[in-house]
Amino acid sequence: MSLDAIPIHVIDPPSAEPGLSGNAPPLLRELSELAKRLLASGETSAIDLSALPLTPADLAWLQDTLGAGEISVSLQANGESTLNETACPGIWWVTHRNEQGAVTSQFIEVAFVPELVKAHPEDVKNGQEYLELLISDL
Amino acid sequence: MQGPLIDTLARQGITRRTFLKYCATLASMMALPPAAGRAMAEAMAAARRPSVIWLPFQECTGCTESITRSHSPTLEGMIFDMISLDYQETLMAAAGHQAEEARHAAMKENAGKYLLVVDGSIPLGRDGAYSCIGGRSNVDILKEAAEGAAAIVAMGSCASYGGIPKANPNPTGAVSVSDIVTNKPIVNIPGCPPIPVVMTGVLAHYLTFGSLPELDEKGRPKAFFGETIHDRCYRRPFYDQGKFAKTFDDEGARMGWCLFELGCKGPVTYNACATVKWNGGTSWPVESGHGCLGCSEPDFWDAGGFYKALSVPADPLRIGAAAAIAGAGAGVAVSFANRAKKNVARQTHETLTVEDLEK
Ligand code: SF4
Ligand code: SF4
Repeated sequence: MSLDAIPIHVIDPPSAEPGLSGNAPPLLRELSELAKRLLASGETSAIDLSALPLTPADLAWLQDTLGAGEISVSLQANGESTLNETACPGIWWVTHRNEQGAVTSQFIEVAFVPELVKAHPEDVKNGQEYLELLISDL
Repeated sequence: MQGPLIDTLARQGITRRTFLKYCATLASMMALPPAAGRAMAEAMAAARRPSVIWLPFQECTGCTESITRSHSPTLEGMIFDMISLDYQETLMAAAGHQAEEARHAAMKENAGKYLLVVDGSIPLGRDGAYSCIGGRSNVDILKEAAEGAAAIVAMGSCASYGGIPKANPNPTGAVSVSDIVTNKPIVNIPGCPPIPVVMTGVLAHYLTFGSLPELDEKGRPKAFFGETIHDRCYRRPFYDQGKFAKTFDDEGARMGWCLFELGCKGPVTYNACATVKWNGGTSWPVESGHGCLGCSEPDFWDAGGFYKALSVPADPLRIGAAAAIAGAGAGVAVSFANRAKKNVARQTHETLTVEDLEK
């Protein structure tokens, strides 16, 4: 029996994908306000992209518009996370993926450095103790 | 083992960043503001583990499977390290009298403070004799354990609403936890089986804020059960365009059209499958080409046939009303025979024999 006998057609994904909803542009204003707040008080903030009614096209538009900056960080923690600075310094596009590579959550963070990138004092302490151990073995 | 959670996780090779990332995603799934993710991580990292007693009643162990084996090793599973699971028949090493002692010790030590997790329905027929542990009926054990609980989590559709054991004609007189316990906060996490992350979300909320999350009128956490499967289904554009698969192998099915006419109960089912998905986010029933069975709704088993289309237009009230009538009609056959002796036995925890029950 040839494969053709199996009545399965591979079909391109439906082109009926919803387009731009108009929900993305207002986010730019919000980001501008949040950036002002960061400058004035140092207060960081984040927008949860999965909590908003954004279509895939909206997200693509937003990512495109914000552009790519100089820094991209990748974090291997139970799946890959990427924390990429956009063309607007201080505005970071943060994507968390699970081990299967599926996006589990997505944020835009407004901060000098995203929280996740900083080392926690407790962890630094552990690292320092490890260094002592290395030194004692010299 | 009573140290802060973050140390326990570290021993298992889970870094602080992994945990922070997990909490960010959890907060997002629970529709909490992004800052709550950090608050959760901080609170949970430092939390002392609350005592949890897990009672399995008239059930298939599917709920336990869902939580512990969803995709291994899971953070969800390891989060179980943030609780002190003092009694879980399926998972615990102790057996027999030792197991029962462990439960009593935990109940005494943590009186008023422990979380009680229940999976499975509770049979009331024949004075509860259909399901007994150590010679005592489920209803008896539940009442005793509920007494000292801070809150109760009804895991799965059976504990939440009676589930499959309660399906017509309900031979064992199965009821839900909330049919028996009325004076404690109860969270229902229905589903057959329930989605693991909902359990973690409820625990995280409890540990972070010291309270249970907001519930809907059927006792389910709104964060996960706030919308129907249909609301978030990726096949929804086809439903709106009137494009339906008519059989499981026709052109429409191959094109990935809406499964409404094949009996999908998505429009009347509140659950998070369409967004959280199953098996580590791999897929979910509709994505695999099968309609939703409505497993997180009361009496889904008796809702008129899995492959029968809902009457159009989809009317959530219709199933609800039919279910209420079926529930009332199913009735509970409590045997009155030899009641006095049974009551005495219950109070003193004396072991009942089958002969006693048949007297
Ligand atoms: S009826 Fe079922 S398959 Fe169709 S859009 Fe609704 S949930 Fe999806
Ligand atoms: S798709 Fe429907 S039947 Fe399937 S697990 Fe989810 S709620 Fe239950």
